[in-house]
Amino acid sequence: MPYISVSVSIFKPKLHSLSLSLLMEELVPSSSEPLSPQTLASFRSFIINPSTPQSKISSIFETLTRSLQLTPDSLVLNLLSELASRHSNLSHLVFDSVRSNALLSSESIRLAAESLDALASISNTDPTLSTAIDELDDRLFVSLCFGPSVSVRSWLLRNAERFRIGPYLLLTLFLGFTKDPYPYVRKIALDGLVGVSKSGIIEDRSMINGCYCRAIELLGDMEDQVRSAAIRTVSAWGLILVASNLETKLYWSDDLFVKLCSMGRDMSMVVRVEAFDALGKINLVSEDILLQTLSKRVLAITKEKRSLGQCPAEQFEILASNVAGVLVHGLEDEFYEVRKSACHSLRTLTIISAEFAGEALNLLMDVLNDDSMFVRLEALETMLHMATCGHLKVQGTHMHMFLGTLLDSNTLIRSATRKILKLVKLPNIELFRLSFDSLIENLEKHPQDEADIFSVLFHTGCNHGKFVVSTINEASEEIDQASEGKLGFDSARVAALLVLAISAPLSHGEHVCSIPPRIFSYAVTLLGRISRALTDIMDQNALLAYLSQCSISTTFSATELNIRRGEPCLPVANIEIPNDTSNEIDGSTRTSSQQEKDGASKLQSWTMREPLELAAPLGEFQVEVRDEVMKPINLILAKVKDIWPSIHSGFTNEVLRTLRNFKEELATFTSDSLGTIGAVAFTLQYLQVIKQLAKVWEHFLPAKKLCSSGLGELDLILGKLDMRLRELRSRFTGLSMEQELQILELVLLTCTLRLCKVEICCHFATLKKLSTTVSRVESILKSANIEPTIFISEVGKLLCLNEMSSSEASCNPFMFKELLKHFSLSQFVLCGRLNQIKAELTIPDNDSENPLPFVSRLPVGIPCDITLHNTSNENKLWLRMSMDDESTQFVFLDLNLFGSSDEVRKFTYVAPFYKTPNAISFTLRVCMGMECLFEDVLSVKKYGGPERELTYLCQEREVHLSMISEH
Amino acid sequence: MAIDSLVLGAGQQVGKSCVVVSMNGKRIMFDCGMDMAYHDHRRYPDFSRISNSGDFDSALTCIVITHFHLDHIGALPYFTEVCGYSGPIYMTYPTKALAPLMLEDYRKVMVERRGEEEQFTSEHIVECMKKVIAVDLKQTVHVDKDLWIRAYYAGHVLGAAMFYAKVGDTAMVYTGDYNMTPDRHLGAAQIDRLQLDLLISESTYATTIRDSKYGREREFLKAVHKCVAGGGKVLIPTFALGRAQELCILLEDYWERMNLKIPIYFSSGLTMQANMYYKMLISWTSQKVKETYSTHNAFDFKHVLNFDRSMIAAPGPCVLFATPGWLSGGFSLEVFKHWAPSEMNLVTLPGYCAAGTIGHKLMSGKPTKIDLDKNTQLDVRCQIHQLSFSPHTDAKGIMDLVKFLSPKHVILVHGEKPKMATLKGRIHSELGIPCDDPANNETVSISSTHYVKARASDTFIHSSLNPNFKFSKSISEDESGSCLKDRRFMPQLQVTDERTAEGILIEEKNKKAKILHQDELLLMLGEKKHEVRFAYCCPINVSNLEETKSTSDNVLCTSDRCSWLQLLNNKLSGEISGGNIQDFGEHLQVESFDISVCLNDKCPYRIIDTQNKSEAVFFCCTWSVADEKLAWKIISIMDNFDCESH
Repeated sequence: MPYISVSVSIFKPKLHSLSLSLLMEELVPSSSEPLSPQTLASFRSFIINPSTPQSKISSIFETLTRSLQLTPDSLVLNLLSELASRHSNLSHLVFDSVRSNALLSSESIRLAAESLDALASISNTDPTLSTAIDELDDRLFVSLCFGPSVSVRSWLLRNAERFRIGPYLLLTLFLGFTKDPYPYVRKIALDGLVGVSKSGIIEDRSMINGCYCRAIELLGDMEDQVRSAAIRTVSAWGLILVASNLETKLYWSDDLFVKLCSMGRDMSMVVRVEAFDALGKINLVSEDILLQTLSKRVLAITKEKRSLGQCPAEQFEILASNVAGVLVHGLEDEFYEVRKSACHSLRTLTIISAEFAGEALNLLMDVLNDDSMFVRLEALETMLHMATCGHLKVQGTHMHMFLGTLLDSNTLIRSATRKILKLVKLPNIELFRLSFDSLIENLEKHPQDEADIFSVLFHTGCNHGKFVVSTINEASEEIDQASEGKLGFDSARVAALLVLAISAPLSHGEHVCSIPPRIFSYAVTLLGRISRALTDIMDQNALLAYLSQCSISTTFSATELNIRRGEPCLPVANIEIPNDTSNEIDGSTRTSSQQEKDGASKLQSWTMREPLELAAPLGEFQVEVRDEVMKPINLILAKVKDIWPSIHSGFTNEVLRTLRNFKEELATFTSDSLGTIGAVAFTLQYLQVIKQLAKVWEHFLPAKKLCSSGLGELDLILGKLDMRLRELRSRFTGLSMEQELQILELVLLTCTLRLCKVEICCHFATLKKLSTTVSRVESILKSANIEPTIFISEVGKLLCLNEMSSSEASCNPFMFKELLKHFSLSQFVLCGRLNQIKAELTIPDNDSENPLPFVSRLPVGIPCDITLHNTSNENKLWLRMSMDDESTQFVFLDLNLFGSSDEVRKFTYVAPFYKTPNAISFTLRVCMGMECLFEDVLSVKKYGGPERELTYLCQEREVHLSMISEH
Repeated sequence: MAIDSLVLGAGQQVGKSCVVVSMNGKRIMFDCGMDMAYHDHRRYPDFSRISNSGDFDSALTCIVITHFHLDHIGALPYFTEVCGYSGPIYMTYPTKALAPLMLEDYRKVMVERRGEEEQFTSEHIVECMKKVIAVDLKQTVHVDKDLWIRAYYAGHVLGAAMFYAKVGDTAMVYTGDYNMTPDRHLGAAQIDRLQLDLLISESTYATTIRDSKYGREREFLKAVHKCVAGGGKVLIPTFALGRAQELCILLEDYWERMNLKIPIYFSSGLTMQANMYYKMLISWTSQKVKETYSTHNAFDFKHVLNFDRSMIAAPGPCVLFATPGWLSGGFSLEVFKHWAPSEMNLVTLPGYCAAGTIGHKLMSGKPTKIDLDKNTQLDVRCQIHQLSFSPHTDAKGIMDLVKFLSPKHVILVHGEKPKMATLKGRIHSELGIPCDDPANNETVSISSTHYVKARASDTFIHSSLNPNFKFSKSISEDESGSCLKDRRFMPQLQVTDERTAEGILIEEKNKKAKILHQDELLLMLGEKKHEVRFAYCCPINVSNLEETKSTSDNVLCTSDRCSWLQLLNNKLSGEISGGNIQDFGEHLQVESFDISVCLNDKCPYRIIDTQNKSEAVFFCCTWSVADEKLAWKIISIMDNFDCESH
């Protein structure tokens, strides 16, 4: 193509030198001919250049429109839609021009389709055109679909949603095109049917039935892709059909189930996976059909009843052979994808029938021998589901396989098995012993599992008190021997026995009498190890109290102690086994965090109090300056106290305005550097708290009914309030006891507010928080010898009352509402020096232009410049790194490694980020947070994250990363 | 056209497989096996039935071998080198690689051990293999201009394939031996959904339905683990290829997971050579092996060590794979002699052992003493575990395959007669497919599909391009055949695409067939369109007809006629809601229903010979079949219409 290359080389220098008028002059006379590609290219560069003057754009638009009128062309169309997207002021004009010139007048189907595309994308960018696209005639779309071009047809069908075609018309179209001779079109039509089913608009029974039956016909299609799309369609419409009528529910559910089963033996892996996925969505099937899926032979009971569904006799054989053994085949499929899907489908199916669950369990136990880790894990998870639904009945024959997984070399498998063991009810002592021995073996081979194993032992112990007692009594000699002399309990077995023993008093029976009290005192020597394992039940203090009580007296009630039993229960909700192996990387971080736990338990009694640092080293002058700042701050704080009545009576808007003024006033002090920064920051924070409190209070006013008092809103504000209070408590050092007391009072108030609203959930956690706060308050009152406010003493009284009475009374919101009357805001006086813990985090030399290099799937180091203010080595700092998909990784910052405990420390830390995605580039949001040590409600963040809530010390930073190119 | 299948072997028996299929002038021999049970001429198929003259090259187009087992390939060197067939032979690459080993091994056993007369020599085997053309899976091979063959994965043993053959419009599949469930080292059979006239399937387990393999594996692992955990030794007698690798993968995987350190040995008979073939032929193994081989070749056994004769007496637990499989002699028997007396040890036996072998004796009951030969007696105290792993598909697998392929005809071979008969019945009754189970040397003839090539007219092609679907509601039979049928529920919505229904096939003498669009038919035939119409001359009573009649011979004038019609029109438009009544002056029309005033007293459509015809005006009505309902409705209106003339 010599001609083009020549013309381009001529044109290029021209383009730069030409003015618009020249260009236009050149173009206008020749406009009867199609625009040359070069011209179009130059237009495009004008369009995408933001500095092109508007007049030029308009004239380009005119030229393009004229060209479209004369010779419709897809390149011109593209340019026009680009023009519309970049210059929204022209989008209406472009829309009209495309519609009248290309869409309606065009004879080429392809061009018409392209102009439809252009119109849809223009209306996407300009919301004012969304009605215009609605006004486009559906008939046009349909007639295009009926054109001879297959590619246009499939494109249109795939994009039908963009053109807002009415659902009934769409349904008809899709349904019709399931007959298309082109398999690709059939597949798209089926997918479209699935889409329509999701809209939920179609309610006509015969329509639903029609779609269902048509999809069933396509289950026999020659093409794999069509068959798998047909399965999705059958499933989607079948479920609607099932739900549409209560009377025929079972009939259609059976029918759907049998249809899907018939695809379980398809030759294509994709189809089989789809079939089992779909089977897992059915939650109602006749039991005889279900049982038949587990036997390749046609069962005698099925034969006798001949009632497979309610089918007539002549079809019985075929039906039975369709269903027979489908799940068995699925579970022993060649492809792990299919096996996994089959395992998954059992989750819902085992809920339907207990007998089926029993049979399925036999199979599942065998799946534990599968060669794919994914499948084994899926099988275990399914068992866990069964256990939570109470359908897991283990028998002796299962035990070899099941307990064998405790020795699996894979951590995930072992931990999944243990989770099941926690829930399982063992029928006899032999199995109990067998499980115990296997756990010991697990402990010996994989000592890193200790905490989890102890936890399992404790839970199983609670569930099987009788077995524990007899086991311990037999083994007590062994324990005694181990305790003689050194009291070492180095043997894992003895330690495990001790854990088992101390669980007995918590089981339902009165077995505690039979456990020798000395065993409990032995257990005290393992306090650290045991309490680490039982973090979900009690903390170390509670455990110690429990053990010492048990070792002295044998009669006590567990409720006296602070033990979380009887709570909805055992960590079922927390069970989440991640599927990807990448979590194994976290194992390393986890072990480090386990070591941390030891430290943390020591810190349980750690208080916020720091020796009051007075401004002794400051000179006279400085003190004066300080006072000059402190005075107005205290004045503001006094005013805050005064606005409490306004809050109380609901003048929220006025209050908020006043608070804003205070904030502005405070902002003038920030330039100072003489130790008042902390005070100013504190006051700002305090104002924030009051602001949130005012907002919350609005919801508790009796007279005023808020029209939009959505529950979510209140929950949100309460959450904010919690966060602010947390920051107030944890980010400032140097608070006096009185000051801390005042903050704690606010915490108590927040808890009370939460408890007043029945609708707000997590009562238990809140109650728990309330009680720990009260105990903290009481200890401060005692040591500082301060009179409690009325509110505090009332809260204390109510709490005592609650603990004495049954747990139901604790949830009585009216009693808490009464409490609110006693509260009034006391004045906060700042005197001493306050220090704010804060951090500055920067990632040097990094922005979107200069990304950090990384290799996908390999860890990458993020160099962070960190400046910390007022941190001590006890603070537990974490770097939180999250990606756009919300996956988050935490890295623990061991402060002991970064210089002394100075007021300010500066260092560079290279934070490892492990889960780099398979992408060319990505952004990471990095932020630094501190664990609130007083927060004893553990947020169970697994795999190496912080155990407690974090308060964030700095602004989130964005880190840009991009993949190292191959060469 | 017909397909003739001559069954030369494995007809109603498990033995020498050999089927010669003739279709559309081509003749293919599938498998060329031998029967190990005979030592005379009966061990080979009766080749004389293929050609009396002995000119096999012209009688056969090609030979297709499915896998390397002797009952499928044993007679091949004899047929090519002794009988003189020199045409093409097709088999898969692994079969081509492994078959000479099997044949050579067999020849040695026959000649050297039994001292038999040699049927073919080593050179024969080499020469025979030179004629073989190796094929790959799913590779379409053009044997000649008309005959295509294609191999599909069959499981069973390494390199086993099912073969698809197509001549012109006729297509068939010969399965050979296959397995529909995967095992640890081989995958399940896999085939496309093809349009077939004939399926020839093996039926070794025509009535057996096997349980999940998981249970069998679990029992095996449990027994082995228990034994080695107790310090015992496990002896696993196997043959070199297949079972040994499967079990070894199973154990290897278990060892890995359970972190066991007990050694697994391969005896020297089971050389690494066999494993090497597996390592090279990864693409023929199971999905799992294929997926992982880039990181770890499953046949690179990590825990497996070579066994040395001196280690037989060494203490400590171990697992040993040793040949031959049935403890019929050789190394496995030697080890067995040493290990059998200890209760701690374990011997696992395959599901089937040939009669007369030690393995067979062990399987029948639990003997405590076994006579090795006349002089020696062996105390057997060890545990015995029986494995029932089989590489053949079970009855359900056969049914599944037949159902998936849905051929027009099925022939069963390679099975026992009574069981085959049962399966034949099931295929016929459940799937509605005709099925045969011929005996040896019988021929089954079935008709095959015949396609006509036709030209299509432009109009038809054009109309075929555009979708033209219609919806209808009908209570039709469910075509998928598996629907739970219950007429309580609503009728079904049917979708039909009329594109092809609009075509008409024209076959004229001496001319090529042609498809026309239905609109073109009349034009082509030069005929006019004929239409069947119903007609009825309907009287309407008019009370005062006489007065209104004009004087001229009782004939209604044109204006009168029009006024009658006008009256009728008014009446009808009142009664028929939504009906589109068109007034053409002389006649009215509703859809295809046509009304005009009848003046012919001898109108042939006049049924009622009214006496008082003077009181009636007759309207001649005609309509086509499609509007029958409408017609009767209008007529009933007209019957009840009492006309008041003005």
